[in-house]
Amino acid sequence: MNAMRQRAVAIAIFWAVLLAVLAWRAPGFFAGSNIRDIAVINAPALIIALGMTVVILAGEIDVSVGSQFAVASVVAGLLAKAGVPLPFVALLTAGAGAVMGGINGALVTWLGVPSIVATLAAMAFWRELLRWFTQGAWVQGLPAGFQWMGFGQAQGELAILVCAALLFGVMVWALRNVQAGRAVYAVGSQRESARLAGIPVSAVSFGVFTLLGALTGIAALLDSVRFSEIQSGAGAGLELKAISAVVIGGTSITGGRGNTWGTLLGASVLAVIAPALTFLGINAFWEKAIQGAIILGAIVLERVTTSRKMKAHAR
Amino acid sequence: MRVENRAGSERALAFLIVLEVAVFAFTGPNFFSAANAFEVVRLGVELGLLALALTPVIVSGGIDLSVGSMMGLCAVVFGYLWRDLHLPIAAAAACTLLAGLLGGALNALVITRFGGAPLIVTLGTYSLFRGIAEGLTRGVDNFSQFPPGFLYLGQGYLGGLVPAQTPLFLLFAAFYWLLLHRSIYGRALRAIGFASDGARWAGIPVNRRLALVYTLSGFTAAVASLIYVAHLGQARSDAGTGYELLAITAVVLGGTEIMGGRGSIWGTLLGLGAIVVLQNGLRVSAFPAELAGILTSAILVSTIAIGRRSVGRAAAGTAVTQEDGTEEEEMKNSQLAVLSAVILAGSLIVAGSNWWLVQSVRPAASGGAGSAVPAKRLTLAVMPKAKGDPYFVSCRAGAEEAAKQIGADLIWDGPTDLDPAKQNEVVEAWITRGVDAISVAVVNAPGLSTVLRKARAKGIKVLTWDADAQPDARDFFVNQATPQGIGDTLADEANRIMGGEGDFAIITGALTAANQNEWIKFIKARVAAKYPKLNLITIRPSDDDRNRAFSEAQTLMKVYPKMKLIMAISAPAVPGAAEAVKQSGRQDVKVTGLSLPNMCKPYVKAGIAESVVLWNTGNLGYLVVQASKMAVDGTLRPGATSIDAGRLGRIGIDGDQVVLGKPLVFTKANIDQYDF
Amino acid sequence: MHTSKYNRPLVVSKAVAAPLLEAHGIGKRYGGVRALRQVSFDLRAGEVHALVGENGAGKSTLIRVLTGAVQPDEGVVRLDGRVIEHNSPHRSRALGIAAIYQQPAIFPDLTVAENIALVNEPGGLARRIDRGARRAQAKELLRAIGAEIDPEREAGRLSMPEQQLVEIAKALGGNVRVLVLDEPTASLTERETEKLFGILQQLRERGAGIIYISHRLEELGRIADRITVLRDGETMGTRQAADTDVRTLIRLMAGRELSAVFPKRAVKIGETVLDVRGLTSAAAGIRDVSLQVRAGEILGVAGLVGAGRTQLAETLFGLTPADSGSIRVAGSEARIQKPEDAIRAGIAYVPEDRRRHGVVAELPVRANATLAILQRIAKGGLLQSAAENALAETWVSRLGVKTDGIDAPVSSLSGGNQQKVAIARWIATEPRVLILDEPTQGIDVGAKAECHRIMCDLAEAGLAIVMISSELAEILGMSDRVAVMRGGRVTGVMDRAAATAESILELALG
Repeated sequence: MNAMRQRAVAIAIFWAVLLAVLAWRAPGFFAGSNIRDIAVINAPALIIALGMTVVILAGEIDVSVGSQFAVASVVAGLLAKAGVPLPFVALLTAGAGAVMGGINGALVTWLGVPSIVATLAAMAFWRELLRWFTQGAWVQGLPAGFQWMGFGQAQGELAILVCAALLFGVMVWALRNVQAGRAVYAVGSQRESARLAGIPVSAVSFGVFTLLGALTGIAALLDSVRFSEIQSGAGAGLELKAISAVVIGGTSITGGRGNTWGTLLGASVLAVIAPALTFLGINAFWEKAIQGAIILGAIVLERVTTSRKMKAHAR
Repeated sequence: MRVENRAGSERALAFLIVLEVAVFAFTGPNFFSAANAFEVVRLGVELGLLALALTPVIVSGGIDLSVGSMMGLCAVVFGYLWRDLHLPIAAAAACTLLAGLLGGALNALVITRFGGAPLIVTLGTYSLFRGIAEGLTRGVDNFSQFPPGFLYLGQGYLGGLVPAQTPLFLLFAAFYWLLLHRSIYGRALRAIGFASDGARWAGIPVNRRLALVYTLSGFTAAVASLIYVAHLGQARSDAGTGYELLAITAVVLGGTEIMGGRGSIWGTLLGLGAIVVLQNGLRVSAFPAELAGILTSAILVSTIAIGRRSVGRAAAGTAVTQEDGTEEEEMKNSQLAVLSAVILAGSLIVAGSNWWLVQSVRPAASGGAGSAVPAKRLTLAVMPKAKGDPYFVSCRAGAEEAAKQIGADLIWDGPTDLDPAKQNEVVEAWITRGVDAISVAVVNAPGLSTVLRKARAKGIKVLTWDADAQPDARDFFVNQATPQGIGDTLADEANRIMGGEGDFAIITGALTAANQNEWIKFIKARVAAKYPKLNLITIRPSDDDRNRAFSEAQTLMKVYPKMKLIMAISAPAVPGAAEAVKQSGRQDVKVTGLSLPNMCKPYVKAGIAESVVLWNTGNLGYLVVQASKMAVDGTLRPGATSIDAGRLGRIGIDGDQVVLGKPLVFTKANIDQYDF
Repeated sequence: MHTSKYNRPLVVSKAVAAPLLEAHGIGKRYGGVRALRQVSFDLRAGEVHALVGENGAGKSTLIRVLTGAVQPDEGVVRLDGRVIEHNSPHRSRALGIAAIYQQPAIFPDLTVAENIALVNEPGGLARRIDRGARRAQAKELLRAIGAEIDPEREAGRLSMPEQQLVEIAKALGGNVRVLVLDEPTASLTERETEKLFGILQQLRERGAGIIYISHRLEELGRIADRITVLRDGETMGTRQAADTDVRTLIRLMAGRELSAVFPKRAVKIGETVLDVRGLTSAAAGIRDVSLQVRAGEILGVAGLVGAGRTQLAETLFGLTPADSGSIRVAGSEARIQKPEDAIRAGIAYVPEDRRRHGVVAELPVRANATLAILQRIAKGGLLQSAAENALAETWVSRLGVKTDGIDAPVSSLSGGNQQKVAIARWIATEPRVLILDEPTQGIDVGAKAECHRIMCDLAEAGLAIVMISSELAEILGMSDRVAVMRGGRVTGVMDRAAATAESILELALG
């Protein structure tokens, strides 16, 4: 636990430095409208990262969320276009996500396919299937009430933020206070012990994939309602972004350790990098390099700080 | 039993390949030929090298996601050393290999010294390597005009038949086979993969062995990168994008256990073979490219699931002794049975879709060219840059209309994403299939030109459209508008909208997109020459993603409050930027750019996007098919000054270019007249 | 046997009732090993039924069958006379069967309270947790067993004995009808053990049945009503504890008289080969250990679980390097930072955990036997299969490994033969010092005798042997000298003649 916290602390320090530099060089970054815009844009990615946290905590991984996201976006658009009322669109989109996640879960749990292989296949499968089906066409001509869920821009943005905050709150609470939440930690921590302790490990594994799928569906909808048409190629690279957010936030990739607060931190760091570069006038070409360096830096820093602590403790 | 098991899965894979070959020999003209077999080998080399390198990594229980990015980095390093530092080509290559070695060593260092999980560490370097490559080239730079001796490595033939990279690949395959199956390192890696603690307790230097495979993996990626550059004739930072996942798929399909321990080079070669033959066979058969991904993932999951279940059953405690021979046999048979079922289902899908395609084309045959006696139906192949791109989707409608009118079979296929290497593969497949004309929207001119020349040598008429290849590699270029024409029009529009002065920003597609970079060059030139009071403040990428363009535009408006115009030059970026302006409520910022009228209609009507520039894409597709038909029947030949292009009337010819006309500028006044 | 301070007569009256739990005709195979054969066993309400047997006799497998953790190949388990269908840990737990396994099944990342609550609270995954109630319950349970552990601590940070206490609290938490304890006192202090017995007494008074597995045969007289002996996966009969003395038990367990078991031969003792002085490692928890072992000598290392014996071996072998102190092998100073250094210095280590460390079960016998000497069977880094096969064949035949061939995976071998492969791997390195950690744990009697014979042969050949064992009989039977450890220190070294069970226990318990 300590080591993982260390990573989160290292990242938090990096983040604080970045914010300090921004405050010094580009105070405009902290304008309320800018913070709000960044939050609204990144809310869907945060929601997916929350689901990814649970999957990784349970000792699994899912690299297919980007493709699931694209499929769910188009499903949402087609449903809305067909005149389905928005609450049902939301329900069905989350359902479509849950089905895709559930397929991953079934492959992993009952067919014994390692999660990275199963979701690697799912990633290609859904993406190519969607391409075949849409041929790249966007979903256009959505009903007027689709954008901002009919609330208008200001309330719509607020609604997205409230949704994300609500989901975050529920996840934080549920991971601590619902038996299933603790079971996720137990399964990711010691699968065999969990089985011996009578925890239905298969149900937990299946559940985390389904949950991530459902959250991906919700995220896709919340992302789609910001626009008046839906692109069919969305979500490329989203899986790596979500995994990065989780890992940067200090969750152990082998499961059992970590929490959603760390993921919030990780997602915030990733969300801030691109706009921060523009604000600081740094060239966009270095963005990926900086992202990679942060991940490596976090690993190295974590190790350096913990080993020093261990030595100090030994003395 | 385990040995048996592995042999069983390899047998199943071999069976799968045989089945693929049998199906495609039936559906794909000339698929079953020696020439095509060697083409398959060439197409598999870069991917194969990565898969070879990943096999020992995965056997050791790790993973390396950074190999694809490493190819990009090495390509850029190589180009930079050769062109800018004027190193001899051999020295540049040697230094590139060193760079690969160092990159691999970085992975190894962080994994062994700092105890990072391989998945996370290489996820980090996956971003880092690609990021450095993009940073070094500032996204836009690319390197070409490598000497022919170097290009031979990727494009030449030994004895006129065997692709030049084959011996190198075989050398690496042999090396990795020795490493994994015959050396103490392979033995140690296997032990580490099965039980890392068990290996440590046996006195094996676990960290040193792991460091070796990650370093080798970086080195091999560098070799793959050199071959890739030689193959395509161009070094860009996007080399090898997405290759890591395909390579992992090949390795895992080949029976290597993702958790470590089990795995073989033979299996990897077979897995690679299954994937590459499938891709090539689908192309030669002119089946939709999307099927490749769908079928590969279905095969992957079913093989692993079957393998897993049998291993799981054994591990669950059922006996592992002699008397299980029968059960084992059953497992293998059921494995084969399920695999066959998957392939069969796949072929049924393919056959079904093919039938459907034929059905949809047939009425055109009877109704279209009524009077002419259809001695032989022409097969005209047309390739967009990327199949899913809405711009090219809108071109397709016109192309199909023309094919219907002239009663020809149209093959419309291409990469599903912007991968320059994929275009080569598709053209190769069309040559093998023996089409009458090939028309390509070229992503990467130096790389594709060699293949196009080969097509011409085989008597196929070659046209380019949308973006040109090298002039001697094609018969005609169907020019919708020159980069200069586009650049000039955009700059003129910017000047008009901004009233002659002020700041503007550009949102491009991917930073590495060649087209956009060409346009930007001419925009800059025109602004410098004619509109000195216009000021280009920055260029931001959108990765052809509407949402990314949206957030970039949002940030730009805040950072540059005086900015008056956002020029978005990727189709999805215009609606993205316009939506951002709309949501900001700013009246003083306008959007213009290059996009499809349908996508932008609401924004043009609302006055946010003052104008959108584009040619009539439907007409472009229509003209391409008309022109390629005329090239085949000889109406369009050198010296012609104009052609009669069906509903487009007479189209002028300028040298070897068929010119569609000037770009259209869509505004509030005229946008409703267009529907694409 | 002496009378317990706990009141047995009261229980005996209950003990005539119908069996609470009954296993009938249980059979179970693991790979090539037959773990259980036609085992029948019953437990009455309110009784403590002890299960004894040597390591590998099938005790752990039997309790795993009872708790549903393992599915038997044949036979049934009945509770209250009804067959438990589709048994699983989840189901047996719901029926009131709780188990404390030898290895604490702790979730290191959860708090103590959560560890206790996770298995005890009824209801499904969707139920809400009352954190306050959990804390209170955990506190209550921990107090009941006299453990002063903060329920909010992370379980991974507890010491081994503390974890064991949490395990006990966990098992007591639910509505327990049948409690299975597998070596519960191995790492407990005297005081904690007393508390545990008190709790067990309360439980039996409530009508619960207790299955008690222990190697401390002396304990059984105090706590057990009946004793069932298992040997090689078969029951050797069930007896009233009151009528059975330790000697009879040992005879039943071993199948022969104790003295006949060990083939210890007197060999010529040579020069000092291993000379350890002031060895200290904070990471391993080893403090100021000094030991000398001479050529041909077998030094037995005794002590309780957690006394630091394995940690000492791992320090000598470079797995957890020492902070200070010196290790000399055959007179020359050995700087040991990693296992390769130890191997070079002539130290070999056959580890305790055979499946995790001793062999790589999925690799063939051939590869396992040569894993520590890869350099020696290779030319220019390439394996010479002729050399490898010859070496492997030699050791397989010399140690009498029963296998289908050197290409068979080690997992297909029985425990004893796996152990022989693990030993072969290390003898192949031609060491000066051989450390054997629990060399005969979990292997059958025949293989055990063979292992002992091999040890004698090796000693005769001039190796200095360090044998760590928890089996007192083995220590007494095989050692030339005995070192006893407690709390990471060596608390005493005795000659073979001076060493008795009592003297060793005295030093081990402190």
